Amino acid sequence: MVDAGTVQAVEFTLNGEKTKATVESRQLLVHFIRDTLGMKGTHVGCDTGSCGACSVIVDGKLVKSCMMLAPQADGAEIETVEGLAQGGELTPVQQAFHEQHGLQCGYCTPGIVMAATFLLRRNPNPTEEDIRRSVRGNICRCTGYVNVLRSIEAAAQAGRAGAEEAA
Amino acid sequence: MLLESVAYARPDTVAEALEALASSDGAAALAGGQSLVNVLKHRVASVELLVDISRLEELRQIARGSDGGLEIGACVTYDELDHSEEIRSSHPLLAEVASHIEDQQIRDRGTIGGNCCLSDPTNNLPPLLVALDATMVIESASGRREVPAGEFFHGYFATAVGEGELLRSITVPPLGADAGAGYSTVAVGADSKAIARAAAVVRGNGTIQEARVVLACVSPAPMRHSGMEEALRGAEASVDAVKAAAERIGDDLDPLGDAHGSAEYRRAMARVVARRAVCQAMGKGGN
Repeated sequence: MVDAGTVQAVEFTLNGEKTKATVESRQLLVHFIRDTLGMKGTHVGCDTGSCGACSVIVDGKLVKSCMMLAPQADGAEIETVEGLAQGGELTPVQQAFHEQHGLQCGYCTPGIVMAATFLLRRNPNPTEEDIRRSVRGNICRCTGYVNVLRSIEAAAQAGRAGAEEAA
Repeated sequence: MLLESVAYARPDTVAEALEALASSDGAAALAGGQSLVNVLKHRVASVELLVDISRLEELRQIARGSDGGLEIGACVTYDELDHSEEIRSSHPLLAEVASHIEDQQIRDRGTIGGNCCLSDPTNNLPPLLVALDATMVIESASGRREVPAGEFFHGYFATAVGEGELLRSITVPPLGADAGAGYSTVAVGADSKAIARAAAVVRGNGTIQEARVVLACVSPAPMRHSGMEEALRGAEASVDAVKAAAERIGDDLDPLGDAHGSAEYRRAMARVVARRAVCQAMGKGGN
């Protein structure tokens, strides 16, 4: 018989660090990340899977963490916005959002940065349509999309330049 | 948001999943969760036990049969449909339709089986699977049974999957050299909730031998439009003939009107999407 319970023990990797925890089965992944682990970079915008502010990368896939339950994170590799910069050095996506002013109030930014990070890992040479479609699941209520799109394009260019330099 | 207390189980096999589902009246299968998790948040359904089937390898395979058809596991995600070489080569339209479901985050979690088992009339995949004459493979403790996609969708949020059963896979037959498939949607916004939708498969060169025209969003379940199919049978494969056949869609449709479109508007759009889907299936992009 399968073990079923309202409380589950989970083991996962968060931004490269192995972590263990006990979670309530009903807890949403986003609340687990924010309230239990205290990582406040992942935001809650709508709590209904509409806005994308809670987007994180789970096993290499971009997901809305309010649409997953915490026990489903068992065994997973989770990346949040806190895991991007290494040793204080911003990633090309973060640097581009900084330089191109890809945020206004900043609330949606962590989710959009994760969406852009996912896009450029999968497709380092996105077309304008690819970039526009990549943030289809992320709502910016400041309507600052022009700078968001410009930032992602700049990050793609920077990534290509970095790859050429390395070659 | 706090969900009602619920137990969670992640079985290792389909057999264990069926056992867990049978263990409680309040058990529900959790696949991608892109609808069910919101249902739990809104507490519109009472679930005592969630049986997480999303990682069952048995349900995550895409296999090509000896006849060139595909067997797609119920827990294959939309993103995997979109990026599968098998699907892109034998049923590119299925990959294309999957690539336009909402957003990347939903495509990374949402599954073909969940899309079908939810049976929301606005869902993307049901009309296409009916047009492609897919077969739904349902498993229970007593074995497997097969249901044609055309008989699987019973209406609003109701399907042929009964108590103690699980949708296991979906078999899509090959199209054949003389056939094409088409799909068209009028939606609220890009890749968004549909107002009217049609999928079609057309067989025959020059003259149409057979057409399957399936409408969605205008009835509780995807519906083949026999009037338009009859008008197309034996007709010349021309845009004008398709336009004339689409006129058969009319008062026989009784769609619900809502904030996104009145019943009359949906009926009018059903004619438009049916025409576009059939034209695409004939390889004639012209609308």
